[in-house]
Amino acid sequence: MTNPPDDVDTLDAQDSEPTESVEDARRTQHDMWVSGTEERLPYSDATNEGAQELLPSSEDPALDIQRGISVDDDFVVPERVVDKERQIINMGPQHPSTHGVLRLHMELEGETVRRVKPIIGYLHTGMEKTAETLSYSQGSTNVTRMDYLAPFHNELVFSLAAEQLLTLEVPERASAIRILMTELNRVASHLLASATMGMDVGAISMMIYGWREREVCLDFFEKVTGLRMNHNYIRVGGVAADLPDGWEDDVMFLIDKVSAGVDEYEELLNENPIFLDRMLGVGVLTPAEVKQFGITGPVARASGVDWDLRKVAPYCGIEQYEFDVPLGRHGDSFDRYKIRIDEIRQSLRIAKQVVESMPLGDYRSLDAKVTPPPRARIDESMEALIHHFKLFTEGVNIPPGTAYQAVEGPRGEVGAYIVSKGGPKPWRLRWRAPSFAVIQALPAMMTDSLIADVIAALASTDPVLGDVDR
Amino acid sequence: MSVFIEAVIRVVIAFGFLLTTVLLLVWVERKFVSRLQNRIGPTRAGPFGILQTLADGLKSFFKEGITPDRADVWLYLAAPVIAVVTALLMFLVIPIGAPIEINGTTYSLAAMDIDVGLLYILAVSSIGVYAITLAGWASGSKYPLLGSVRASAQMISYEAAMGLALVPVVMFSGSLSISAIVESQQGTFFGVVPAWNVVLFPSFVVFLIAGFAETNRAPFDLVEAEQEIVGGYHTEYSGMRFALFFLAEYISVFNISALTTVLFLGGWSGPVFGPTVLQWVLPIFWFLLKTWLIILFFVWVRASLPRMRYDQLMAFGWKKLIPLTLGWIILLSIALGFRNFGAPWA
Amino acid sequence: MSWFADMLGPFRGFAVTLRQLSRPAVTTQYPDEKRVKPERFHGRHVLNRNLDGTEKCIGCELCAAVCPAKCIYVRGADNPPDNPVSEGERFGFVYEINMLRCIFCALCVEACPTEAITMTHLFEMSTTDRTEAIYTKDDLLVERDGTPNHPYPESPLININELRLGDGWMRATSPSGRADYEGVVQWSPSARTGSMPAEVGQSGDISHEETPDG
Ligand code: SF4
Ligand code: SF4
Repeated sequence: MTNPPDDVDTLDAQDSEPTESVEDARRTQHDMWVSGTEERLPYSDATNEGAQELLPSSEDPALDIQRGISVDDDFVVPERVVDKERQIINMGPQHPSTHGVLRLHMELEGETVRRVKPIIGYLHTGMEKTAETLSYSQGSTNVTRMDYLAPFHNELVFSLAAEQLLTLEVPERASAIRILMTELNRVASHLLASATMGMDVGAISMMIYGWREREVCLDFFEKVTGLRMNHNYIRVGGVAADLPDGWEDDVMFLIDKVSAGVDEYEELLNENPIFLDRMLGVGVLTPAEVKQFGITGPVARASGVDWDLRKVAPYCGIEQYEFDVPLGRHGDSFDRYKIRIDEIRQSLRIAKQVVESMPLGDYRSLDAKVTPPPRARIDESMEALIHHFKLFTEGVNIPPGTAYQAVEGPRGEVGAYIVSKGGPKPWRLRWRAPSFAVIQALPAMMTDSLIADVIAALASTDPVLGDVDR
Repeated sequence: MSVFIEAVIRVVIAFGFLLTTVLLLVWVERKFVSRLQNRIGPTRAGPFGILQTLADGLKSFFKEGITPDRADVWLYLAAPVIAVVTALLMFLVIPIGAPIEINGTTYSLAAMDIDVGLLYILAVSSIGVYAITLAGWASGSKYPLLGSVRASAQMISYEAAMGLALVPVVMFSGSLSISAIVESQQGTFFGVVPAWNVVLFPSFVVFLIAGFAETNRAPFDLVEAEQEIVGGYHTEYSGMRFALFFLAEYISVFNISALTTVLFLGGWSGPVFGPTVLQWVLPIFWFLLKTWLIILFFVWVRASLPRMRYDQLMAFGWKKLIPLTLGWIILLSIALGFRNFGAPWA
Repeated sequence: MSWFADMLGPFRGFAVTLRQLSRPAVTTQYPDEKRVKPERFHGRHVLNRNLDGTEKCIGCELCAAVCPAKCIYVRGADNPPDNPVSEGERFGFVYEINMLRCIFCALCVEACPTEAITMTHLFEMSTTDRTEAIYTKDDLLVERDGTPNHPYPESPLININELRLGDGWMRATSPSGRADYEGVVQWSPSARTGSMPAEVGQSGDISHEETPDG
């Protein structure tokens, strides 16, 4: 174990007395208009709109048709109905900054958003159902595509759940490799989140810089797994292949590059008055709301909710590594940005420790019913050959039972719930998607704010619609 | 008659110069901003991609121009034209070099050297606001409407700041004619520092900031903030009509940079020596050099700053810039009064 | 001087962008320059031959069975006794991969017991016709001397030589998690790539008790 590097600063506010920072001073400085200074709607009111659209809001049906809430093709808007105050606007599914295909049904009064209804489902591909037709050996090719920015986490949680049913111990090296890859994946995902967040508030350079460093991560992933995304690398019983020759140098190079990059982002944005004005006090979520909506991950921690599964329910031996959980105080967009930047540093710290303490040995369970034999054994042993055939045609057989396993993904708790009735395929797979909880909290964050704040708040929650819709 | 022909020749030359410059300007911006972002920018069309803008223009020219169903057709079609025409007109009064003397006649190097140049510029740029407002309104669609409302508010408030920022310049130079303002900046203070109006530093800064807002450039590009309101006022425009808006925006960028040069950086003034031809060319060179440096500054700002929010932008304009310029005008008039009439206690 | 630094705070971002001017661009000018792909890259599949020119595929259909996208179609047939096509009893008589469905997971590569199907570094397979995306055995199988085939001719995009590289994933997954088997050649040489060495792996610290030969 190494000592924490001195330069790692955290937002740990739990034990230290909050001090008035530059940002705090600015938070109170908004002289014209601040989101959320008006009385907050109770969270239930903000979210109890219709299933896939805003509820009609007025007595006069003509008014709703005119605003576009309800549709009637033959209806001619009578002259007498003139609603000068409000209009309905559809942001998305085809909109430059809805992070995929989210659609926000918004009622505007001037530039102020009065009601919001997030509408999902444009990316629904039935992945949970598909999982029922794929064996556990093939399953990770499917789940890895759900949250496409955190493929390793998806594979890991799926494999852990299956291993839980098998009561299988994976070798130490496999766990260490899993930790390394998932933490680097967190780095890549947070880099992308920061990049797109910069882009959404108009800092175009930030976007390119974020992508620049993410590329270094993806290059490493490609070297290890052969693919930049959707790796199918973490399998039930371990990982598919060992780390490539010279991986230590690659990881250290990555750590250097990304740390330098992160310093640069902070230099670019942290003190920029326009960025602060756009971020501070925007899209606030209180700790109570965070808990009510079931939000996890950086968004929850930005509100000061100290909940990180790596500390609360450690997996893959992550408790051996030293790292801090950065916490925010205000739950606004700026804190979320800051938390992500700090988490990148913490993940790099874990990666460094993994490099220093990587155990040797096997990296896949030696259980012949789970792991196919080495290639050389196929020619030598009849039994090995049969196992090879069985595992690649039928797949891993899993005893009946149910298992829920969760890991801390870049967006919060990624969970896999597997119901097995025995046999090589799950009877039902249910996925807990962290982005889903955040999407349902959007109205609470956005009601009575400006359009520009909607974009900043949405970007700061970093939802992945592939994960929401599955 | 000959006056008429001379005017036509002058205008044609000015427009030709301007359009070529804009072609180059778009390319320079794209190249420079990509260097600031570790990219390489356009490389394919022509050497170093220098023909990229031409290619883009040609492409837009051959694209279908779609008119939305609910558009107010005539206004919808007129808006891009107004935008380009006002942008072009603004350039006419800017002198790009020192007056040239041929056969005893002095020719000014502005297409139209009028005595109230500054007022003309303010007037023309206010008409430019109509283009954007009308474009948003006539599109008959919601995002453009939001964009045009933002645009009208923004441009009207920054127009005020810009006008006020020009007052000290007029007071200092004692003329509304742009040529005269440049002339007044020849010479030096104490024999070393060039006597540029940049000594009116607050005006210079406010004028630059207002210039960013007038041209809808980052960080004031919320009129066309892609991430918020898709394309703003030009969301519904396609093909050549969109290209006209694009052209107008870049002409304005050049105009504002050129204006900053003539009003604050001494215009064409700079060391001039050598034979007559060189004496004609060098001032133009100095003018272009200063203008391009300002343009690069525009690009640099765009790469470095995020976009402001609507209410912050308005607050900044009305609560910071305008009081600042007003205070500065008062201060300056007192100082000038002392200079011209002597201090009361003296 | 700290007040001075504080005052400069808002402008520090300008220095960041300006600093980039001194750094090289990160852009790769594809297709003029192609980035170096890692060994394990998952690109287009090939069907390999042995050094003596016989096909490696024995028509066992394991690849078709494991494929999660169900994009491989194999039909085996008995080898003609006088002129065997493959080393085993049977050979892959029909072999098709629908590249539109393929997700390049490389499970087929892991499943193949004879290293017949492996992956290369070529990924330029775009087409304007869906039927062309179904690669038949003619497209996939290498020539007897190991020259790979591709349905499209060499072009600025397509560098046929990339079809000679690869197999990294097959080599990386061969030990299947056993430290003992790392750094050991567990595959027979193929006409396309010859004898490929094994990755070094972590072998330095692990003794090879039973070292099987290639
Ligand atoms: S790479 Fe995967 S999807 Fe493609 S053919 Fe092989 S097993 Fe099927
Ligand atoms: S390619 Fe390999 S797995 Fe597929 S049929 Fe041939 S020998 Fe069997």
